Amino acid sequence: MLCPVCHKDALIVEYQDIELDYCPVCHGVWFDAGELELLMASAGFEDFRRYLDGIINAPETDTQEKKHKCPACGHKMKKAYIDPDSKILVDVCHIGEGIWFDGGEVTRLIQALAQKAPDKGPSQGVLAFVGDMFKYQE
Amino acid sequence: MWEQIRSNQVRSVILIALIAGLLLAVGYFLGLYFFDSAVGGLVIALVVWAIMSLIAFFQGDSILLGMAKARKIKPDDAPRLYNVVEEMKIASGLEKMPDVYIIDDPAPNAFATGRDPSRASVAITTGLLQKLNRDELQGVIGHEIAHIKNRDVLLMAITAVMLGTIVILSWYASRFLLFGAMTGSGRRSSSRSSGGGAQAIILIVGIVLMILAPIIAQFIYYAISRKREYLADASSALYTRYPEGLASALEKIGSSTRQLKSANKATAPMYTVNPLNKEGMKVSDLTSTHPPISERIRILRAMAGGASFADYNDAYRKVHSGKPGIISKNTATVVGAVGIREASLSAPGELALASGKSAGRTTPGTHDVSDLTLRLDKWRTVDCECGARWKVPPGFRDDNILCTRCGRRIRL
Repeated sequence: MLCPVCHKDALIVEYQDIELDYCPVCHGVWFDAGELELLMASAGFEDFRRYLDGIINAPETDTQEKKHKCPACGHKMKKAYIDPDSKILVDVCHIGEGIWFDGGEVTRLIQALAQKAPDKGPSQGVLAFVGDMFKYQE
Repeated sequence: MWEQIRSNQVRSVILIALIAGLLLAVGYFLGLYFFDSAVGGLVIALVVWAIMSLIAFFQGDSILLGMAKARKIKPDDAPRLYNVVEEMKIASGLEKMPDVYIIDDPAPNAFATGRDPSRASVAITTGLLQKLNRDELQGVIGHEIAHIKNRDVLLMAITAVMLGTIVILSWYASRFLLFGAMTGSGRRSSSRSSGGGAQAIILIVGIVLMILAPIIAQFIYYAISRKREYLADASSALYTRYPEGLASALEKIGSSTRQLKSANKATAPMYTVNPLNKEGMKVSDLTSTHPPISERIRILRAMAGGASFADYNDAYRKVHSGKPGIISKNTATVVGAVGIREASLSAPGELALASGKSAGRTTPGTHDVSDLTLRLDKWRTVDCECGARWKVPPGFRDDNILCTRCGRRIRL
């Protein structure tokens, strides 16, 4: 896969049967819808698709951030806030191929969610997994 | 059996002749319009037809495989998949092992192509490998091998190439006409004011023909393709002795909402299940090259007594109460009674495993199929001590990567 931001080859990292695309240059992460579904299912979320549809169908966010093309379908992705406080702006594929997090956004999301709900059930597993995965950055 | 194969060959000839006729008609009118001479158009159409026939015969399979972005795999790449193909080759009595191709596409589908049973290929999408277990995959491969055995593949390759030519020709000709009408209308009307009426009629007939040609071509193909699909289903049941395998595979393929990226109108008839128009099924049922999936599944599931052609015929009659069977009596009686075997135990996706990686694992990994395509693309895989596995693309320049999980630097 080519990184949608720097257009260079991204690496793939697999851990516990979850595979994520990671760009070593800009540290962005691509969550393929299938992988995200696997990850959520392993933590006990069943209706992930509805959650993803919710993000896709949310109204377009007005922002200056540059639009990126979806690495899977090639069309421009949509900007959407993913956290409850509307601070972290991610790119979502229009047809639901996946979600792109710019460098650092994953960490910020985890911090934001950890403050909101310090010890709340199944989501903790997903957060811990993703947090561990990208703990060390240059 | 032989009678069916023979009639298939006769049909191939009729089909090629009909499509040639169609092409000539298009050429005739295009010639009249563009060069004022029907002969010129006819000659061009004939030349195009001859070239396309030769290409279809000698290169049809490679063109189709190339269009589908299929990649050839070796036995080591996916030993179990190869094993299934080999089983079906033996069961069908095919003299030569067909080449096996993989298409990297999440939509589950498959097709067979080739010139004759000694030069044939079977192509399978990665989505199919991921979703099907061994019995189901065997059913699908059996269906494809049956197409090779019944000599449907040449017919399919030729039709696909010819259909493609007609679609392309009509498309370009219609663009030409539109463009010409917009820019050159003044010059044309002044220089040929005398023959205006005849010109207009020729133009109209030409346009109508150009619009209709691709549709007519599809109808011709449709007219002869359905029966072959039933015969391939019946053969698959016979080879596998397990009709439920193909039935449940068809169910999985039919319920998938993904469209095959590399399929188009010309190549659609090749696939096990029509890869286009998932939503408009109601309308397309009338004209589709494949019988409705639901019906194929019902017939396969109605095969209670055994897996022979006679059993398939009985099941077909049961589903279409009153109609005679789809396979002719002579063919049906050649094969004696064939029992249905037990289901085998296997999980979806494990067919793609190349030995080694998951040998010690009890459950098949989710990424074995994608790993297979990465391997074919020459990706490197490095395992970090922390348990993370990094997959590095062939174009990666640095000599080391930082494991973001544990902070170690991994040398490549």
